[in-house]
Amino acid sequence: MAVDPVFTIVLVLVYVAATLVLGYLGYKRTIHAEDYLLAGRDSHPVIIALSYGAAFISTSAIVGFGGVAANLGMGLIWLTVFNIGVGILLAFVIFGKKTREKGAETGAVTFPDLMGKIFHAPKLQLISGTIILLGMPLYTAAVLIGGARFIETTLNISYTTALIGFAVIVAIYVIYGGLIAVMYTDAFQGAIMLTGMTLLLVLTYIAVGGVSAGHSALNAMSGLVPEALAGQGMTGWASMPELGSPIWFTLVTTLVLGVGIGVLAQPQLVVRFMTAKENRALNRAVLVGGPFILMMTGVAFTVGALTNVYFYEHMGKIAVDAAGGNVDSVIPLYINMAMPDLFVIIFMLTLLSAAMSTLSSLFHTMGTALVCDLWGRGHKCAMSLKANQVGCIVMMIISLVLALAMPAGIIARATAMFMGLCASAFLPAFSVGVYSKNPSKNGAVASMITGASIWLFYTVFVHTAEAKVLGISQLLTGSVTILGAPWTVIDPLIIALPISAIVMIIFQLSNRVAGVRCQG
Amino acid sequence: MFSVFGITDPAIWMGYALSIGFAITCIIYGLINWNRGGREDGS
Repeated sequence: MAVDPVFTIVLVLVYVAATLVLGYLGYKRTIHAEDYLLAGRDSHPVIIALSYGAAFISTSAIVGFGGVAANLGMGLIWLTVFNIGVGILLAFVIFGKKTREKGAETGAVTFPDLMGKIFHAPKLQLISGTIILLGMPLYTAAVLIGGARFIETTLNISYTTALIGFAVIVAIYVIYGGLIAVMYTDAFQGAIMLTGMTLLLVLTYIAVGGVSAGHSALNAMSGLVPEALAGQGMTGWASMPELGSPIWFTLVTTLVLGVGIGVLAQPQLVVRFMTAKENRALNRAVLVGGPFILMMTGVAFTVGALTNVYFYEHMGKIAVDAAGGNVDSVIPLYINMAMPDLFVIIFMLTLLSAAMSTLSSLFHTMGTALVCDLWGRGHKCAMSLKANQVGCIVMMIISLVLALAMPAGIIARATAMFMGLCASAFLPAFSVGVYSKNPSKNGAVASMITGASIWLFYTVFVHTAEAKVLGISQLLTGSVTILGAPWTVIDPLIIALPISAIVMIIFQLSNRVAGVRCQG
Repeated sequence: MFSVFGITDPAIWMGYALSIGFAITCIIYGLINWNRGGREDGS
């Protein structure tokens, strides 16, 4: 990289200083526990939108999924369709307003607390909190590792120093400033991300000779698809894979549906709806949120696929070959080779922002789940500012240890796994809970346990991508998976979510029938 | 062959059209409902 290292370090220090100043502002505004947990339920719409978007989009969405687009092509754009249609429109308009209303009505301060209160079942708070504390550290460790690997190469420092430094800087403002600091810094980081991704799109189209010329060139490369991928159904980088082929199943079920739907019931995002004072703030946030997500994942997937044109023109190789076979290296390599020096630094800050904004939300959600929803549940200490700060410290340490100990293979799957688990366990109960006047608490318990259990079973014993890395099925049954194709490439969410939804619907309907009988 | 900005597969350009369409829908929704859902209208 030809970028001056002193200039890079100075810019990073300015960025970190600005982040900490915003964290300090959050700290000054944090007086009561409700400020710490829910930003005082009075957030500005632009801050809600940028904070939601920035927490939603991590480094892996840009670098990891951008690399996947370089490998599998533009079909990934359907994930952007879901990211905006489901992750913003449906999430804010259908779920967001009801969540805010229920949150304000019940006085709930966390996602598990909300689940417990809308169903009038404290054990639901316990179950939701437990699922968060079991699933979220894995995702947090993945975000930590992604950020630390990136800092290690950019600033040329050791991986362990990068990992600890990164976690501690984020933890400082989360611990002291709570959700106000998280949302302020998220909004700042979101603005940097928007600038970086807009420039990336424009510079990429210039690098490949224009919009239509770049797409046409990518279209013309379909004959260069490696045999291994072509044999599994890939037809080119500007076309969808063959319907029903293994790559089609992976693209559609895991990447598009798994991640696209999974975002709906993520506790760290749901809690942002409860920070709005009025529904008006959520309406206004939609205006910013939709275009923001388009400029994040839409740009990452488009640029990812187009890197094939650039690398073929400059190196005579397709993107993944140019990156030595490592999908995660495609975007960094492309940035370093194709972009002007100043943009390399802007993009570095973009990725740092993406990682920090996601990480801060996760630390906060886990810390408050530990204190409010598990340890202090039903007691005064659940609303203690100090106890929640300690909770964030404890969960930061656990995530850090996990990041140092986890094998690389499972970490790469962690984003899709976490989203799949959240949707399978929470989505049906959460949907009925915010909409029904008389939601079935037994249905919610059964749906959450069924969804989480089936998702776990399918992940461990059937879905090859995870089962192979975990090795539990191999150990117990002697084979990597207990079922054959196509089941092994269908995401666990596609199986677990409908069953979890059916369970919830059956209980809800029987609840209604019982209610009618009682009235009669 | 029919193409949209150089993309010939309808399943791809439709994905782009929907993404941009949803983003525009978000903008329109936000503008139309800019003042709805405040305390004064009782929601």
